[in-house]
Amino acid sequence: MNAILAALPIIGQLETVARHVLDWLHVTFHLPWAWAIVVLTIIVRMLLVPLTVKQIHSMQNLQRFAPQMKEIQKKYKNDKQKQNEELMKFYRENNINPAASCLPMLAQLPVFIALYYSLKTFAKHPPAGSMSWLHFVPNITWHTTSFWGGYVLLVVYVGSQMASTFFMSATADKTQRYLFMIMPLVFVFVIARFPAGLVLYWVTTNLWTVGQGLITRRLMPRPAAPEKRTSRTAPKAEPTDESDGGSGNGAAPKGPAPKPQPSAKAGPPRKVRRKKGAGRR
Amino acid sequence: MNAVTRAPAYLGIGLVWAYRVTFGALFPTTCKYHPSCSEYAVQALKAHGLVRGSIMAGWRLLRCNPWSRGGYDPVR
Repeated sequence: MNAILAALPIIGQLETVARHVLDWLHVTFHLPWAWAIVVLTIIVRMLLVPLTVKQIHSMQNLQRFAPQMKEIQKKYKNDKQKQNEELMKFYRENNINPAASCLPMLAQLPVFIALYYSLKTFAKHPPAGSMSWLHFVPNITWHTTSFWGGYVLLVVYVGSQMASTFFMSATADKTQRYLFMIMPLVFVFVIARFPAGLVLYWVTTNLWTVGQGLITRRLMPRPAAPEKRTSRTAPKAEPTDESDGGSGNGAAPKGPAPKPQPSAKAGPPRKVRRKKGAGRR
Repeated sequence: MNAVTRAPAYLGIGLVWAYRVTFGALFPTTCKYHPSCSEYAVQALKAHGLVRGSIMAGWRLLRCNPWSRGGYDPVR
């Protein structure tokens, strides 16, 4: 597989671009190679900020409709195709812009591939300069499991990947969400075979996602919760008044978890005044 | 399309599958379109061959951005 991909001319070009950027960071700013990778990752993520911020905003907006979407998912539990179609319909009817989109994620693919092949070349023809990072990664071209620091890096990877999934996974489906959260534990076995520099890229990009998620949430006003549905029946195909949303001003969900909207707390229970003479029936 | 003209499309389909089992699995996301971008790419490649299918898949990927609405968008 690697050989097939490496034969593609575009891979070679991507690698050349990555090498140029890394060389520039290394020579001009005297950064060690590992830090050059970290800075390259930060540059890429900075370029993607407009895309990801918009994505976080859409996701917050989406959370307002979590209960209704859950009902649709429940209703078509056994028919994924129909479930997707109904969800799309629901988005359209309620003017929702689904948060998830392929482009921001895919934009990172060329960088990932370029770094992967650059590190492979580094391993074969080591350039001048230190290949270590923070004293616990002796060489970024080595396999992650070939030194003890690599295991530390893997633990940080799993933690940061889970945290970034928590912030960025744009699905309201709880099962899918848990699956996404567990995935790093499975993939850690695949990643263990990658060069440490690539894991470094991964950890950096995850930590950026977490930081950006935290900052955007703080700066962004919380979206208003939709009016509470009075019935527990699934929404019909036609748009209904209560699914219009936006006008409610109840409590907004805090975390990204697709929780049902908390019911508006009315404070102390209402006292019912009775006429003095009226007896209980 | 006959088998000969369809053959190069399978190269593209192979690449989509390579993406699905590697990067796509590592960076889980849900697509805002139905069918999803990768499924759309496979269908477009099968229906219209490598060149036109790739262009269609590329255009769909560009449309799958945070500003678009998403929704039902089958290969035509």
